[in-house]
Formats: sequence, C-alpha cells, structure tokens
Amino acid sequence: MLCNASVTSRVNGQAATGPRAQAGTEIISYRDALHWTMQDALQRHDSVLILGQGVDDHKGIFGSTTGLSQAFGADRVMDTPLAEEGMTGVAIGAALNGLYPIQTHIRADFSLLAMNQIINLAAKYKYMFGGRFDVPMLIRMIVGRSWGQGAQHSQSLQSLFAHIPGLQIVMPSSSQSILDTYPAVIDRYRGPVISFEHRLMYDLQFYVAPLSTRQETEPFGSRLVRPGEEVTIVATSIMVLEAMRAAEHLALVSDIQCEVIDLHCVSSPDWDLVMQSVEKTGRLVVADTSWREYGVCAEVCRVVAERNPGFLKAPVVTLGMQPAPCPTAKCLEDLFYPDLRQLVDALAVLVTGKQGHGVPLPDTQSMADVYKRFKGPF
Amino acid sequence: MENSQKFCELFFQALRIRLVEERIIELYPSDGIQSPVHLSIGQEAVAVGACRNLKKTDLVFCTYRSHAFYLAKGGSLAEMFAELYGKVTGCARGKAGSMHLAAPEVGVMGASAVVASTIPHAVGAALAAKRLGHDQVVVGVFGDGATEEGVYHESLNFAVLHRLPVVFLCENNGLAVHSSQKSRQGYDILEHARSYGLPVYHIAEGYDFVKVADTMSGIIQHVRLTREPIFVEIRTYRYKEHVGPGEDFRCGYRKTEEWLAWKRQDPLEQYGNLVETFRPGIRKEIDEAVHFAMSSPFPSVEELLRDVV
Repeated sequence: MLCNASVTSRVNGQAATGPRAQAGTEIISYRDALHWTMQDALQRHDSVLILGQGVDDHKGIFGSTTGLSQAFGADRVMDTPLAEEGMTGVAIGAALNGLYPIQTHIRADFSLLAMNQIINLAAKYKYMFGGRFDVPMLIRMIVGRSWGQGAQHSQSLQSLFAHIPGLQIVMPSSSQSILDTYPAVIDRYRGPVISFEHRLMYDLQFYVAPLSTRQETEPFGSRLVRPGEEVTIVATSIMVLEAMRAAEHLALVSDIQCEVIDLHCVSSPDWDLVMQSVEKTGRLVVADTSWREYGVCAEVCRVVAERNPGFLKAPVVTLGMQPAPCPTAKCLEDLFYPDLRQLVDALAVLVTGKQGHGVPLPDTQSMADVYKRFKGPF
Repeated sequence: MENSQKFCELFFQALRIRLVEERIIELYPSDGIQSPVHLSIGQEAVAVGACRNLKKTDLVFCTYRSHAFYLAKGGSLAEMFAELYGKVTGCARGKAGSMHLAAPEVGVMGASAVVASTIPHAVGAALAAKRLGHDQVVVGVFGDGATEEGVYHESLNFAVLHRLPVVFLCENNGLAVHSSQKSRQGYDILEHARSYGLPVYHIAEGYDFVKVADTMSGIIQHVRLTREPIFVEIRTYRYKEHVGPGEDFRCGYRKTEEWLAWKRQDPLEQYGNLVETFRPGIRKEIDEAVHFAMSSPFPSVEELLRDVV
C-alpha cells in the first residue's frame, strides 16, 4: 500500500510550498526510514550506541536495525541481557559520560520494567541537579496491534510518559515524520526522548522528500496534515492515517472537509495550531491510539476547555481503545479498536448535527486487515 | 602509623566531613536547612579511603547518604551548604537538597534517593569510558540494601559480561532504614557477587581509613590497568538515625554496645589531640561556607521551570 496521507510536508503550515514541494519523488517504508535513520546516526556520530534485546539478530527489531551490528560492530549495536531497568540505567550512565544511546523496546509494554530509570532518573537528571547534567538519549518503543498481540504486546503508553515533566514523547505517523524527527533529535536535542513507533506502519510505503537533501527540521511540535473547514481531527500515530482516510472518504461522498492535525509530540504539542483550527471549524474529534481516560484525548479536551471552550459548536468526540485490556480473539479485538466506519460516522454526525445524516459510510473493514501485511507471530 | 603523612591526611579528610555533619546537626533546629539529611557520621573512612585513590576525572555515582563522598571527591563545601539551605548558589541551584548532591567538575555524578538506582549509571559510564578510550575508573557506591534490588544484579551481570572498568563499592552499614541485614537477606553479599565472576574484596574495618585507602589503591589501580570490574564490600557503621540529625539507640532496633564498640575503633574518636589540632582550621572553613550559604539569595521565580527539558 502506498500512503498518500503524508505526501506533503509535516511541518506546520509549510504544506505544498518550499523545499518540501519536492516530496513525492521518493518512496520509502516506515521500516526503511527507521533503518536509514539508525544507520545515518551511527555513520555521523561516533558516540551513537544502539542497545536492545535482539538488535543484532536476523530480524533486527522488525528490520529497523538489520545488518547494523555487522556493519558498525557489536560494541555499537549491542544485544542486551533481559534487564530493562538495568539497561536503561546503563544508557543513562553512558549518556552522562559522552555517548548517545538509542535503546529499543520491541514492545512498548516491556518499558514498564524500566519505569524507575525513565521517570525517577532520566526525566529528572537535568532539573534535579540544577542543569549540571544532560541525558541525551532516544528510547524507541514499538506499539503492537492485531494478530492476537493481546494485553501485554499492544499497549500504547504515551500518556504515562507524557505525564512526566522532563521527557519528550513523539509518535511518528509516517516515514517523513521519522526522517524529520530522529536525525534532528540525535543531532541537536540534549534530553531523553521516547518515540512510540506503530508496528502496523512498518510495512507501509510513504512518499518522502529526497533523502539526499538534508534539511533542518523541527523534531517536536505538531503538524497540520490536511486543511479543512468543517471539523478538526487531532490524531496521533496510525490514527493520523485513519483520519486521512476518513477525510478523503468524506471529501468524496459529501461536502464535509476535515482538517487533520498530527499531534506528533504529545508531550509538547503545538496548542496554538490546535486552537486556531478549532476556532475555524468549531468542531473537534480526537483520535488516539490508546485509552481515552486520562490520556491524549483527555489532555486535548483539557486544553480546549481551558483556553476557549466557546470555540466549540458541539461537544467534542473522542476515539480510542475500549476501556479494557486488549483481547486476542479477532472479533473482540476489532471491537476493541475504533474503525474507519466509526470515525466517519462520528465526523458526519458531528458536522451535520444528525444521527441520520445520510452520508454514505465506508465498508466495515478492520484497520488491521487494511494495514497489516505480516502474518504472525512476530 | 598515626604519625605518618598518609594517616594525617586521611584523618584530616575524615574529620572535616564529620565536623561538617556535626555543624549540620547544630544548625538543624534553626530550620534553615529544609531538607531531609542522611548523615554519614561513622562512615567517613569509606569515602576518604576510596576517593584518595581516584583522579579528578574518575567518576563516582552515589546514594542519598552522600555528603561524605561528595566532600571526599572534592565537591565544594560552600556550594553544599548553599544547597542544603535551598539557595541558588547551591551545587544544584537549590533543587537537590541533601539527597542529590553533584559536582561533575570533580566527578561526583549525582546521587539518587531511590535505592540502587545509580548502580547501572556507573556501569553505563564505564561502558562509555571503554568505548571512548578514556582511562577513567568509575565507582558505583551503594549500601547493603541495594543488593536486594534487581537492578543491582542486572548491573553486575552487564559489567562482567562486557568487562567494564567499574568498582562496585558496597558500603555495608548493616541497616536498611531500621531493618537489619539478616532479616532481609538469604544470601551472603560477597559470595553472591563472586558468583558473577569478578574479583571480590572485603574490608571488615571500615573505620580504618588507612586500610580502606590501601586496599582501594590496589583495586583502583587494577581496574585502571585491566579495564575490568571489581567488587568490594566495606563494613561500616551508621552512628545516627536513618534520616535526621539525632541518635536513635533508645528505639531498640540496634544495641548501643555495638555503636560503642565501633567508636572504640574509630580514629576520629580515639585521637582527641589530633582532632583539636585540625579543628580550628576546619571550623574556619565551615564558618565561611555557612556564611556563604546563609548570605546567598534564594532561587528566583524563573528557576521553577528552568532546566526541565
């Protein structure tokens, strides 16, 4: 599948003009974008160290580190013991003494074993010591979905970490998003960054700006992905693609034009961008990859409610996972996640103000069927 | 022995730490120090003996009971007092208090209030030293309680696996808050560490700074040359309560007799003449540091959100 959703620039407002207008001349998968950024980091910075369970094996973190240990040495692309807290602490210590560690968690769920190091240490090391230390490091966490990943291989834990001051949390929604974010973070940002990569996107192909033209990019903040007039969709990660599919469907079958914002950096989103959009459209749908309660959905609502709830012509709609652990049976799993049909219906109800809006809905097909190429187990 | 230059220098360093902490005890009731203090009194010899053999560029990762290591490694006394007083001139601009002292300019790489949490940092710093070709030795300091935490074992394994230049220094005072070691541990710390496949050392006389310094000298030289890890357990004794300026022998969790037995071996208790010889000079230094702290400004409003990201 070739995703047009992210053809144009992901940097605020610079959509189809400027250097990014060249975007579309190259096509690269999310996986290959990750691999490219890992290799690029190792090549350009002798201080970069990739560490994680299985980074050097034949599968190479779903292909994102394949061959790099052989190319750069096992002391730079390092397999680790099964010791999440210890390895995160080792990464912090290495960062304090001159390296740039990139740590991988093949499932975000495993990072819960490292919460002490991430929250009590990495997030606080700079502030707690009065700015005497920097802890430059990138922690890659992969969010699983579908094929029976179940309760402990599927959690999208961004809000847990975004709650903690001192951490930057990004959620790349395309190959371009990875190319704009990782090199910039590794080159210029001196604190801990956690990136939630979505497993379902690894196989997807995206148009990107030519890899040969390196540009200064803004790794944090949010991106206006699609301009529209009637309703604002604020989305994260793979829900940005679902939002784009919904927007394109509605543009085909109705007059409804959706504006889509990729929140991208959930720890410090561009709230002005969100508020300007809500002021324009008066309607807001938030679509997140995780639970709605106390999460990104709740946070977007907080900010709108605090800044100017008067912009809203109708109550906010939020879409996320059902409030349960993730089940494995496909029939339950399909109910657990929001689907495209629900999203389109929610948008049509919100814009028309009617339950029986008459806007044609897309066929029911689970996102997993659409996006998933791999047949488990991983 | 007590007349040797080495003895006198170590005595001075240990005494300086003790007098600093005794000043903290004096000042504490005035409520100017609004930070929980975990005093090192009784444990000074471990820090001065270990740090005597370290270069300025060598790194030490500490615990919340780290006044002794901070001072022994060369951290600024004035900035320490300013930190305790919550002043912007403190070593962490008034954001650390007593539990998170740091002085990166002399290799004091921070202290954590979460037991065992800096052990992997020492290992990671040693990994960086090895990768970048530095001749640094890194010391991870922790207590006996830390050996019960999973991350301690993860750290030992990784350091041995990758042969990293780190000293695991277990400062064993036999207590975790008020719980005795034997009520918490079903293993022997030294035997258990040995099973990871690294050399282990034991110093029973943790009050004897010369013995600590001599043993640590060999250990640190060995690590510097071989770039391989070593484990050392040093028995010591905490004279004061877990946190706070007082004594708590009346509380019943330990016996006054064992304290008195340690004090009988403690050179700082036994060589009163030497104490009096050094006291005036140290007192002057402490007076100046306290004056610096008390006359320094508090952090401004801008400090609240500075250095978060």
